Amino acid sequence: MSKLPRSVSLAAVAASLLLAAACGGGTAGPAKVDLGSGPAKAGTIKKDALKGVNLTFVSYGGVYQKGQQDAAVDPFAKESGAQVLQDGPTDYAKVKAQVDSSNVTWDVVDSDAIWSQAQCGKLLQPLDYSIIDKSKVPAGLATQCSVPAMQYGMVFAYNAKKFGANPPKDWKDFFDTAKFPGKRAVPGVPGDAAPGPWEAALIADGVAPDKLYPLDADRAGKKLTTIRPNLVFWKTGAESQQLLESGEVDMAMLWSGRAYAAVKNGASFQIQWNQWMPIMDAISVPKGTKNPKAAMALINYYLGAQQQAKLTELTSYSPVNTDAKPTLDDLGKSFLTTRPDIASTALPIDAKWWADNQSALIEKWSAWLGG
Amino acid sequence: MVLLDELSGTARSATKGRAAAREPGGRRPALLILPALIALAVFFLYPLAVVAWSAFTDPAPGLGNFTWFFGEPGNLRTLTRTFTTALWVTLISLVLSYPYAYAMTVAGPRVRGVLTMLVLLPFWTSLMVRTFAWVILLQDTGVINQILGAFGLGPFSLIRTQTGVIIGMVQLLMPFMVLPLYAVMSGIDQRLLPAARSLGARPATAFATVYMPLSLPGVSAGCLTVFISALGFYITPALLGSPTDAMISQQIFTQVNGLLKWGRGGAMGVVLLGLTLAMIALLAVSLRRAGRRVNG
Repeated sequence: MSKLPRSVSLAAVAASLLLAAACGGGTAGPAKVDLGSGPAKAGTIKKDALKGVNLTFVSYGGVYQKGQQDAAVDPFAKESGAQVLQDGPTDYAKVKAQVDSSNVTWDVVDSDAIWSQAQCGKLLQPLDYSIIDKSKVPAGLATQCSVPAMQYGMVFAYNAKKFGANPPKDWKDFFDTAKFPGKRAVPGVPGDAAPGPWEAALIADGVAPDKLYPLDADRAGKKLTTIRPNLVFWKTGAESQQLLESGEVDMAMLWSGRAYAAVKNGASFQIQWNQWMPIMDAISVPKGTKNPKAAMALINYYLGAQQQAKLTELTSYSPVNTDAKPTLDDLGKSFLTTRPDIASTALPIDAKWWADNQSALIEKWSAWLGG
Repeated sequence: MVLLDELSGTARSATKGRAAAREPGGRRPALLILPALIALAVFFLYPLAVVAWSAFTDPAPGLGNFTWFFGEPGNLRTLTRTFTTALWVTLISLVLSYPYAYAMTVAGPRVRGVLTMLVLLPFWTSLMVRTFAWVILLQDTGVINQILGAFGLGPFSLIRTQTGVIIGMVQLLMPFMVLPLYAVMSGIDQRLLPAARSLGARPATAFATVYMPLSLPGVSAGCLTVFISALGFYITPALLGSPTDAMISQQIFTQVNGLLKWGRGGAMGVVLLGLTLAMIALLAVSLRRAGRRVNG
């Protein structure tokens, strides 16, 4: 792709202008960066170490990105002297386009954690853990190419008014439309497949939680088909929240952050934390970014206890630093997926297996969704 | 044109003066559209060529992406659904727009102004805003179901169904049907209908044999615009439909953004473009035939 415009550029002035636009604009080579001596400590950056450096932080927009900006990115810019731009929403095709054309303008990218694992070494580069201090990151969440951005869950929400007296207890009840009549919302995000519907279907079909992987997608699909007329597919987080608030569904499988927002807005829903699925966003650095050291310094700062506490207070997502002590009201506390009492009721999600099989899984899921 | 004049010896002397006068004017339009042509080449044709190229080369040279596309029953279902949805949208738009445009031509200036504004106001509103408005109207607990509920009807599933998608798309695309229809109809001599009736035709016959054929160019322009726009619709089916009702643009999104399989996305684009061009050609031929019947 990068060679093609070069050969055509002779043909027209316009084409060469385009080329200039594509190749120019960036900074001249990686700047020399002195991040100071001694081991890295999460949440810190040497004062004015990155003066004159430009970085772009990319995330999903909305309350979440604003929270990241206020809790970590802007304070980082202030302390380090770097100029950090916000961009988004994260778009995998754009990451690919930038990496393929060797014109990477996105330095630090928030993405789905499974995607970042699947793209490790392809579109994303390994992280330098001499710059990034992962000692306070919950065990197993930092991988070769990514650290967690925050934690949340795929949870089971049910209408407290309708089922309050005799609430559903597990995913088996989610699939039991005789005992619990009503519509159920499940994720149907275009171009995506993630832990959630298949795991729930297999559990409901009698698979033991520790025998979920490798997922039997066909079996799960068959089980899902049995309640298909009762299913409503949400394509965005906002839509899932809206389905709860408008009362269009009586049960939902959705992101804990969206369930929290709906309940906070007055939707009479409760969470069945039994068999919830821990998931997370990840932060990574695309291949070929102009200043990887500075990008990783930003990630190291992002992981600090204070930054993570503030991020949780601003977004309701759970922190990824074990020392983080966010100040929350009771509702906020009840939606923290890091609270110890729900650690044992979580399903063991195998993110690595998902990452290894993601492409095939997206195709299978899309095919099932398409009927 | 100038060249033809030069070549034709007999016409030469007769048209010499005019040809000479027209010559500079004849070249100027070409120069005037040059910036647009360059922009089109750089920002449309070149990317289009890259996408088409990727369909045949990414990940490996050959027809692999097309074999994949036509080998997956899901893809063919989506393709069929895309065309049937576009067809329904076109037909319903036409049925609703034809009398509306006719009313615009026969109404007095004040009423016509109101009718025109009713078409243009939504047309000037963002497509995104109007689609979200439809979400609010169509949802199970939405305005439409609430009103129907007051009469003891429903609730009907309108959102996340193909019906919902068609309703939304018809509303969004109707201006593209009404405006060309009105443009053609306002050029039809209104006295033709009384004339036909004075010769003994019943009102319906006069309308069907005199007025309708004359309005056909507007019908074809409107149908073509609506149909082609509908084929590529993305946001509206994504928001008003369920993934089960996905149209081809959504599947292209899945391949390009979700799976990063750009070759497949390119192949789907090429198939859609090819089929669309084939439809246009078919329509052009049939219209020419129809036109010949009317004129001959």
